[in-house]
Amino acid sequence: MYSENTLPVKLLAVLIALFIAAPMFVVIPMSFSTAPSLEFPPPGYWLGYYERFFTDRNWTLPLFNSIVIGLGTTVLTLVLAAPAAFALVRHDFRGKALLNLALMMPLVVPHIVMALAYYSYFGMLRLVQSYTGLILAHTCLSMPVAILILTAALKTFDRNLERAAANLGSRPLTTFRLITLPVLKPAFLVAGLFVFIHSFDETVIALFISGRDTTTLPRQMFNSFLMQADPVLSAASSVLFTAVLIAVAVPAVVRAVRGKRAVSPRS
Amino acid sequence: MGSSVSRLLRGPAVLYLPAALFLLVFFLVPLFNVAWMSFTEPDTGFGNYTAFFASSFDVGVLLNTFKTAAIVTLISLIFAYPVAYVAARYGGALGSILLLVVTLSFWTSFLVRTYAWMVILGVKGPITAALIMLGWSPPPQILFTTFASTFAMTHLLMPFMILTLYAVMRRIDGTYMRAAAGLGARPLKAFTSIYLPLSLPGIANGSVLVFITCLGFYVTPVLLGSPRDKMIAGRIGDEIEQMLNFGGASAMAIVLLVATLGLFALYSRFFGLDKLWR
Repeated sequence: MYSENTLPVKLLAVLIALFIAAPMFVVIPMSFSTAPSLEFPPPGYWLGYYERFFTDRNWTLPLFNSIVIGLGTTVLTLVLAAPAAFALVRHDFRGKALLNLALMMPLVVPHIVMALAYYSYFGMLRLVQSYTGLILAHTCLSMPVAILILTAALKTFDRNLERAAANLGSRPLTTFRLITLPVLKPAFLVAGLFVFIHSFDETVIALFISGRDTTTLPRQMFNSFLMQADPVLSAASSVLFTAVLIAVAVPAVVRAVRGKRAVSPRS
Repeated sequence: MGSSVSRLLRGPAVLYLPAALFLLVFFLVPLFNVAWMSFTEPDTGFGNYTAFFASSFDVGVLLNTFKTAAIVTLISLIFAYPVAYVAARYGGALGSILLLVVTLSFWTSFLVRTYAWMVILGVKGPITAALIMLGWSPPPQILFTTFASTFAMTHLLMPFMILTLYAVMRRIDGTYMRAAAGLGARPLKAFTSIYLPLSLPGIANGSVLVFITCLGFYVTPVLLGSPRDKMIAGRIGDEIEQMLNFGGASAMAIVLLVATLGLFALYSRFFGLDKLWR
């Protein structure tokens, strides 16, 4: 009988996963720490740094800015990416491969290169330090991600649903509204979420083209690092991590629970 | 003329043109402007490039960037492989938990994780404390060294590597390994002659992704690294912010861009670019 000793490799994988997760075991306790500087383990616990994160204008303004820029980027990206994804999946045209390549380009170009590019270009257009400039820049960078997610969803879309609707007398636009969009809604939600996180996390371009009033949260965190490593940083980091945890883990758990239900309908 | 425009608008063009035009105006034109500045600021010609390649410091920075990217890629591959292997080959609860940890880490911002390493590797951090307890005196400086930034970048990029490896490994049929064992191969032999070759596309994908991401790294080397061994992105940042030398910064940016795109072109010749993200 075939057998192999899988324990060592499984143990190794678990150890490496623990290493990957290690930072969170530090950042979260640090956010409740009373230590005025980077010190681990914490000498005591309180909620003061969270209070400062949510009340100090130096932190609330960047948080607000990041949310505004993230939402603007999400809307603009989806508006541009969704039709392009339809064209790429449902139509054949000359230059399609080239277009596909061009749409993926922003994924490859280093952020520092784009930071320099926008710094000078938006300077000419008078868009430096504005919400508009940051939204335009972030939209370019997250376009590939959105298109990848949407084309993947469109490829598995069963077009017979649309044909059936058409056969029953539905006009194209009605079919789109009543059949196509609802089926694709999860893909739009996932794409939107990814774009939002992408924009919310982006540091390098924001560092160069955001201004005093449009400072984003990552830029504020970066500067705080360089200046004095303000412990409010760990509260900010924990909030960001919790947001990601909710965005990533909750859908996974919901899917797991639903999956179990589907298998055993009695429960 | 009018009719050709209206025919164009009935085709797929009306769907992809908005995105294409947007990227033309807000992506390609700014990039071309960088290339333009590299040849025109402050003087017209190749001055910025000859200055870059004549400076032993800047060439050193470029070489150091490539060296660091190679080290980070190799180490993250070595550590990522077992995790992806266990998740793809054995699956189950362990596989799901591994994937969840990796995905969570993947989505946690680089800044947050860089900050964590700043705490862990810092003077008052647990590593230094442990070394002191072991009798290491004076306590070693870990933060702001090449080691700290290389180590943190490896940690940051490992999830990329694991997820790309996993995407390929998931499609490897597990019965091949049993067949090899049935024919008398020992586990190690079965692994090296069956599984490893089948996972090569994943290794190639992951390595290229990690390598080119590492080439352009800005935040982590600036925050954790030693000022003595800069990476090229940090140099570009200095030229913009401290020197206001747009021509020089542009030339460096173009060198970095050409290196990145060149690697991609080379890669796509051998493996096909379209497989990278699917």
